[in-house]
Amino acid sequence: MIILLGEDAYGLAIRKALQEHANRTVTIGAVHGTVNRLEKKGLLTSHMGGATDSRGGRRKRLFTITTAGKKSLKRSRDLRVNLWKQIPELSLNLG
Amino acid sequence: MNTKRPTPPKLADWFLELICSEELLEEILGDLHEYFYDLTEIPHWKKSLLYWFHVINFFRPFAIKRRSFRIPLINNQMFSTHLVLATRLLKKSKLFTFINVIALSISMSVGIVMILFLSDIYSFDDFQVHKDQIYRINTQRVQGAQGMEVNLITSSYYMGSQLRSQVPGVERVLMMDANKLVADLKTAESAVTINGRYVSDSFFEVFSHKLLMGNALNALAAPNSVVLTESISKTLFGDANPMGQTIIIEDNSDKKSGIVTGVMEDPPLNSHLHFEILLSLSSLDQGMIEGGTDDRNEPNATGDFHVYVLLDENTIKEDIELAMAELIREHNTSIEHPIRHTLQAMNTFVTSDLYYNDVGPRFPQQRVYIMIGLTLLILLSACFNYSNLSLARALKRSKEVGIRKIAGANRFQIFYQFITEAIVIACLAFVVALGVFFLMKPEFLSIQNLAMQGQNIFSLDIDPIHIIYFFLFAVASGVIAGFFPALVLSKFSARKLFEDTRSTKTFSGNSLNRTLNILQFALSISLVMAALLVYEQYEFSVNFDLGYRTENIVNIPVNGDYIELLESEYSNLAEVTSTAKSSMVIGIGGDGLSGGMIRSESQDKPRPTFTGFVDEHFLDMQEFEILAGTTFLNPLVNGGNNNYIVANEGLLKELDLGTPQEAIGKTIYYNENRVRILGVVKDFIDIGLTKKIFNSFVFVFPEGIEQYRSLAVKLSSNNLSATIQNLDKVYQTLDPIHPFEFNFYDDQLANNYRQQKVTYKLISYLAIIAVVISMLGMLGMAVLTTESRVKEIGIRKVLGAGVANLMLLLSRGFLVLIILAGLIAIPTTLYLVNQMVLNDFLYKAEIGPVEIFSGFAILLVIGVLTIGWQIRIAAIKNPADLLRAN
Repeated sequence: MIILLGEDAYGLAIRKALQEHANRTVTIGAVHGTVNRLEKKGLLTSHMGGATDSRGGRRKRLFTITTAGKKSLKRSRDLRVNLWKQIPELSLNLG
Repeated sequence: MNTKRPTPPKLADWFLELICSEELLEEILGDLHEYFYDLTEIPHWKKSLLYWFHVINFFRPFAIKRRSFRIPLINNQMFSTHLVLATRLLKKSKLFTFINVIALSISMSVGIVMILFLSDIYSFDDFQVHKDQIYRINTQRVQGAQGMEVNLITSSYYMGSQLRSQVPGVERVLMMDANKLVADLKTAESAVTINGRYVSDSFFEVFSHKLLMGNALNALAAPNSVVLTESISKTLFGDANPMGQTIIIEDNSDKKSGIVTGVMEDPPLNSHLHFEILLSLSSLDQGMIEGGTDDRNEPNATGDFHVYVLLDENTIKEDIELAMAELIREHNTSIEHPIRHTLQAMNTFVTSDLYYNDVGPRFPQQRVYIMIGLTLLILLSACFNYSNLSLARALKRSKEVGIRKIAGANRFQIFYQFITEAIVIACLAFVVALGVFFLMKPEFLSIQNLAMQGQNIFSLDIDPIHIIYFFLFAVASGVIAGFFPALVLSKFSARKLFEDTRSTKTFSGNSLNRTLNILQFALSISLVMAALLVYEQYEFSVNFDLGYRTENIVNIPVNGDYIELLESEYSNLAEVTSTAKSSMVIGIGGDGLSGGMIRSESQDKPRPTFTGFVDEHFLDMQEFEILAGTTFLNPLVNGGNNNYIVANEGLLKELDLGTPQEAIGKTIYYNENRVRILGVVKDFIDIGLTKKIFNSFVFVFPEGIEQYRSLAVKLSSNNLSATIQNLDKVYQTLDPIHPFEFNFYDDQLANNYRQQKVTYKLISYLAIIAVVISMLGMLGMAVLTTESRVKEIGIRKVLGAGVANLMLLLSRGFLVLIILAGLIAIPTTLYLVNQMVLNDFLYKAEIGPVEIFSGFAILLVIGVLTIGWQIRIAAIKNPADLLRAN
């Protein structure tokens, strides 16, 4: 998600994107919680910037994905694809 | 977009700042604000609600300040340390402690009274098991010639019986005759005067009064059944068994006999309904059917019965109200002003406003609110004192705070330290307040007796539950008092505190301080003023020239046909100058006044007038001013006064009869009887200064003595108590049943204005309290000001300033505050007192400069004395001492 947003990935924008693409509504707090956790694990980095009027002059915390983050993302995708591959054709058709 | 766009709720932001760790705060707040402004097209409250939701959602481990986890809000050790600190400090600054404890305790004693008073009021009818299922049917309808909408607590028998038989959900219906029975209850041996109620047989099923003897289900079923209360049973029968005994109920000359079918507990003090005996409603049936006054099937007869309903647990009152509307819909189409019935829940019986025909004590909600408001103001005033003094001392304590902060205390700890201090003071004050309360209690109870005409409705007893309230109350007072100082003192960073000691002056909360002071002074000024204004009006009313004399007259109510005997016996007494019989006592609120219709010969529409039945001595004895003609003549000499009346001036104007001289001998119609005017008296006060109903008044000489209800006796005696005893002795021989009652006329007149008396008494207590609190506050402020300006005073003295000069300089600030307070308080009070009290009066006492400036002057004098005293101490000291001090 954060890759998708590229340059403008901060709390609220992430929440909006989740709403649009994944059809999931989460609270702002939940987003902040998640990105904070990810940052602590070293999968994301962040810097402050981009104050606007509607924020009352407060800066945003902009997140970008780290190499470690990309790797772990890839790993989890691979894992998932692998799991998918292991499901027999037949049961999938039935399902 | 709007130029002024809505902002996110500040409180939510503040909350977030409180809980959220600082490094995350900026981005989170930013996001939240952006989110808030992104929300469009929905109402502001919804936005705020969503905002709050998200804010609360940040109450997650990652976001919360780490610190606040290490220091829980209530930490035993911290608490005990703070307690020790607080006690040390209180010991150290004795003056400060003394002032605050005294001020808080007197205001808290008022608070205690208020807590007990409120719990008394709201616990009314708590003994009723079905309290939340019992409702009373009220009636709203337009009544009277003026088309006034009235709220009656009565309704029709029709409605009650229909509800019982037609409407599901109504478990029981209780009907009670709206007329209170006041009668003599007699057995062969003894007699007593009682208050009774006619109630239907469901009484003991609806209400939870306990029946000690008899069967609850049918005690009140049969006609002429009587249920006695325990105390009446004791007076009538002693310890003998009253069950099945026959008693005579004598109401004026109407005699009935009844059979005792039960004995019940006396209704408790907090019952909305008070009575001494209950009679079965069926006893009335026979009489009504015979007398043709049976209107039980008449939906329009809404004034005769109190109807209580006991609803099923699952039934809601709105359904029943709809059902009632349905039941009388047909009837409503036939009358001009439709009738509306509503259900009133039992817990509002005592506090409801504006209901006619009351059954028991009533304390309107509005009065409750006013009393709560005044108490809170007094309490706040004492809390202001604490806040003010603490803020003013901030200068001294800023270093202490600084050191604590450097030693590692955070803001919360400092905050709690100061709050603890305040709570300790409040608790201390509370103990003193309890003492003050026990001193005040009898006085307060006597005031309520005055207000309720001897009817006790408050006990002001302390229950265990109250102790919890008291504790909460003390803590709450402490928190309120300590909040501002704690906030201000804990706010400053340690560096700032040491960097520049002069900056401490700016944070002594000057503007806040002043506002609090002004409010406090204004409160004192208005209370003093209000007390004085009401007192003046009271005195004015009591001493008003009524148009007749009342000195040395004792009025004795007479219940029976022995009035002439009594009069002749009394005339033989040496102390009695004269006696007069009448149907009423004039000027004491209209008791016993009757009405009549008058018209002149040329008019065809009669007009209403007041009528008083008097004998030939009455007008002379009370020295009514006769403008023309004579008073009634001795009937034995002149063959009767039957066709004569004595009128007042108002009647002449009403009937257009010209001057008093011209009117004498003219014929008018009184109740369609031809009568002639025998004399004309000057207009006088017939009911009281608060009410004027009719302009005309007619004195009529009655045909028989049964009209007389009161014997007026004019005394000339130096030993009043002996005279009263003599009167009593004579009375006892003629009327052994009714206790001898005597009322000094002047007392009765004063009693007419007891409401005002209660008001001014209450307000003057509050005023004294408020002034004392203000005085203590001023004293404290003066001490602190002079202390903190000691050097300045020294230098000024060295430079040649005189004592007067210094006093002016130092007290100028206070004077300005008092003047500002006066400017606020005087017009507001004048307006309020006029609106709430004086507008009830037709004749108002004049408001002069004394009344207007009294409160202001009192506060000013007290202020100048207190402040001047303190400043003088500093000003006359040797400047060398002053300068050496620091």
